[in-house]
Amino acid sequence: MSEEIVVQTRALSKVYRDFWGRQKVRALKALDLEVRRGEVFGLLGPNGSGKTTTIKLILGLLFPTEGEALVFGKSASDVSKNERLGYLPEESYLYRFLNAEETLDFYARLFEMSPEVRAERVDALIKQVGLDKARKRQLQEYSKGMTRRIGLAQALINDPDLILLDEPTSGLDPIGTREMKDMILRLKDEGKTVVMCSHLLADVQDVCDRIAILHQGELKELDRVDKLLTVADVTQIRARGLSDECQNEIRDVISRHSGELMEMDNPTTTLEELFLSIVRDSEARPGRRAKTSTAEAESKEG
Amino acid sequence: MVLERDILPYLQWLLGSDSSVGALRQFLLVMLGVGLLALLGGYLIAAARHGLLRGGDVVFHTVTSAFRDLFQISPRRVWALSVLAVKEAWRRRVIVVLGVFFIILLFASWFLKTDSQNPGRLYISFVLTATTYLVLGIALLLSAFSLPNDFKAKTIYTVVTKPVRAGEIILGRIIGFTIIGTGMLIVMAVSSYIFVDRSLDHTHRVEESSLKRPAAGTDQQGYLGRTSLDAFHRHDVDLSTERDGIALSNHSHTHSIEAVGNSQRVLGAEGVMQARVPHWGKLRFLDRQGVEQARGINVGSEWSYRGYIAGNTQSSAIWTFDRVNEVISPESEGLPIGLTVRVFRTHKGTIGKNIQSGIQIRNPETGVQSQLDFFEALDGKVFNYDVPRKLISTGDAEIDLFEDLISSSGQVEISVHCLERGQYLGFAQADCFLRLPDASPVTNFFKVYASIWVQMVIVTSIGVAISALVSGPVSMLFTVSFILLGFFKETFVEIAQGPEYGGGPVESLYRLITQMNMTVELDPSVGASAMQGIDRVLQTFMWSIAQVLPDFAAFSTVVFAASGFDVPTDKVLQDLTVCMAYVVGLAVIGYFMLRTREVAR
Repeated sequence: MSEEIVVQTRALSKVYRDFWGRQKVRALKALDLEVRRGEVFGLLGPNGSGKTTTIKLILGLLFPTEGEALVFGKSASDVSKNERLGYLPEESYLYRFLNAEETLDFYARLFEMSPEVRAERVDALIKQVGLDKARKRQLQEYSKGMTRRIGLAQALINDPDLILLDEPTSGLDPIGTREMKDMILRLKDEGKTVVMCSHLLADVQDVCDRIAILHQGELKELDRVDKLLTVADVTQIRARGLSDECQNEIRDVISRHSGELMEMDNPTTTLEELFLSIVRDSEARPGRRAKTSTAEAESKEG
Repeated sequence: MVLERDILPYLQWLLGSDSSVGALRQFLLVMLGVGLLALLGGYLIAAARHGLLRGGDVVFHTVTSAFRDLFQISPRRVWALSVLAVKEAWRRRVIVVLGVFFIILLFASWFLKTDSQNPGRLYISFVLTATTYLVLGIALLLSAFSLPNDFKAKTIYTVVTKPVRAGEIILGRIIGFTIIGTGMLIVMAVSSYIFVDRSLDHTHRVEESSLKRPAAGTDQQGYLGRTSLDAFHRHDVDLSTERDGIALSNHSHTHSIEAVGNSQRVLGAEGVMQARVPHWGKLRFLDRQGVEQARGINVGSEWSYRGYIAGNTQSSAIWTFDRVNEVISPESEGLPIGLTVRVFRTHKGTIGKNIQSGIQIRNPETGVQSQLDFFEALDGKVFNYDVPRKLISTGDAEIDLFEDLISSSGQVEISVHCLERGQYLGFAQADCFLRLPDASPVTNFFKVYASIWVQMVIVTSIGVAISALVSGPVSMLFTVSFILLGFFKETFVEIAQGPEYGGGPVESLYRLITQMNMTVELDPSVGASAMQGIDRVLQTFMWSIAQVLPDFAAFSTVVFAASGFDVPTDKVLQDLTVCMAYVVGLAVIGYFMLRTREVAR
């Protein structure tokens, strides 16, 4: 397997059987895919499409019925591959009787880090995920977002080369979602490989380089995001400061070249951008209240 | 003290001899047998799932990766997982068990009879038994539910996706829960000792009005009298002319008495907690005609632990002791002997009088023997007898104990005779022993806790191993079954080997339902053959299970401390070795159970 290929599956299949060996669900059918070093790879699909099953087969949490999964050239069942791997499960399954420091220290010990490196890494990660003030509290007292953040911290405790994220933004508020996406992009900039699975399309679109779309256990599409989403026969132009005459001229040019003008109006921002800008503004200027539309209309009349 | 099995010297027990297989060889054979069975079973399951060839491949890779994992086990990771298990137990309030224990101790004295003839035995049995049940209970709950809870809560995902071997998870849990159990045991041991010591400590006053000079014509000087009635008993006192002396034995203890001015002060109880160090011999019997027999007379008891000798006949019980010159110094004043006698009366005899008996010492090499020394046998009591240095032989010559009665190879024979017609004295091999200097009762008390620790570690290992595969309640049931079968292992083995009467399990059930006498043979028929065939299969299966069952009844050394005997070091070493063997074996089983299951199912 080339140095460039971090994760590879060959005809990977999984059939869930009952105690008597009877087939219950065919979760994955002959999946072939490769994840290259340094890319952010997305596994997309509706619920029950086999995304999480794929992640679990790659991690060795499940055994394949047929085919194989290789990570860094090693079989998925080889424990030594986990030295360079980090995993954030769907729900951050952590020991609730430990506090944040103890949690990260425990996982760091599993990588046989020296005490000095361990202490430094635990401290850095707790600060990085913004849990410095809650480091001594037991995880059972944490909110969902805080638990997710400590979950991410344990996934990064060994500075892994490959990070697997299962529904990373699930349950997070828009700020948390944005921070998670920024984190993923930062990891990519550091040369890490990220494999994430999600059914939230917008999140995947924002961060992934390549995506695989699964449905009912089968691979339906696999390509770069930009290539998949590009509508080849439509041209998009965004411009600022165009007068009405200029806009009419553009309409004429399109018409002369037998083109079809689909849309020319003011674009909208996203609700996420609006939300984040309001929150940022509120943090910068606390106490300032937003004007309602009625109040705005009255001030205009005045 | 009842000792149904000889305690062999440690190396002989481990490596075997002409008469025994040796524990090490037995362990290797069992591991080989279990391993082969597991390979066969694993292949059958893998072949059913993946086909014959792929199934073989799966089994091969599982076994080879197991050897690889064995050499890659990291002590640091094991320690990290152990610390996690300790924290888990601690934060789940395992300390509550200590609270329960202290409450039991606080109120125990309300219910324990202090007027018992042997209060030391009662109190020591009580605290040790209570400790055993509590510790085994907590070990069971912690070990059976920990891993299943991890699977249920899926916290196991974040552990197995780190470079952690399955063996490290198993070992980490076993070590972690052992640490917690050990800590609790230490606290229980210290508090139990203090409880027993404080509960049994008492004193008396010498009743001045009872003090009298000994009768005229005796050699005795000083005073005889009695103490006050305290703690439901009193003692006879024997004082010197200086008014110090001893309160004689009652309720299995004595008191020293010191003179204070014109009166006396009775000091605290002595000998309540003892640790006699016995040197045991080999027992044989002579029947009524003086013919040597391996077993004594059976007086009708189903339990054949003791054989009996008939009174006023040539019947006797003879113990042969080896290495006497090694264990007793030739400069000693004599040979201290401990003798436990059981009495079987066929008639009442003289009311208030004990059975007249005699004891004789003999050199097995030269045949020189001492004259019969008389004593009165009291049923169930340990009779301390000191053979004096100078004796009179049966030929009326003065003989020396060490020069004339102990052979050149260090052997001596002690024979006991019953002198009353129609009465019987019962003996087992452990009923007569040479009394070596007593060991420390405190150390002995803690040695018993070592045997409780061994049981705790084995229960923990069983719970952790089986919980790697099945759910919490199932693993708890399995572990409880293991413990119960372990406590009744002897009965289980008897059934597995086929009883003399009544047949195996299925035949016995048939006889129960049809109310058929167990000595009557079944009429030959297809049904009878089928029953006996099924029984043979069941008994083979039971016999196989019996080879791996831990013998919890044998691990317990409570009877040693309760009876006032030192726990032999050989026994402690044997128990610790067996414990390690179980931990190793169960850790391997647990490894394969965890390795071959799908974590995310």
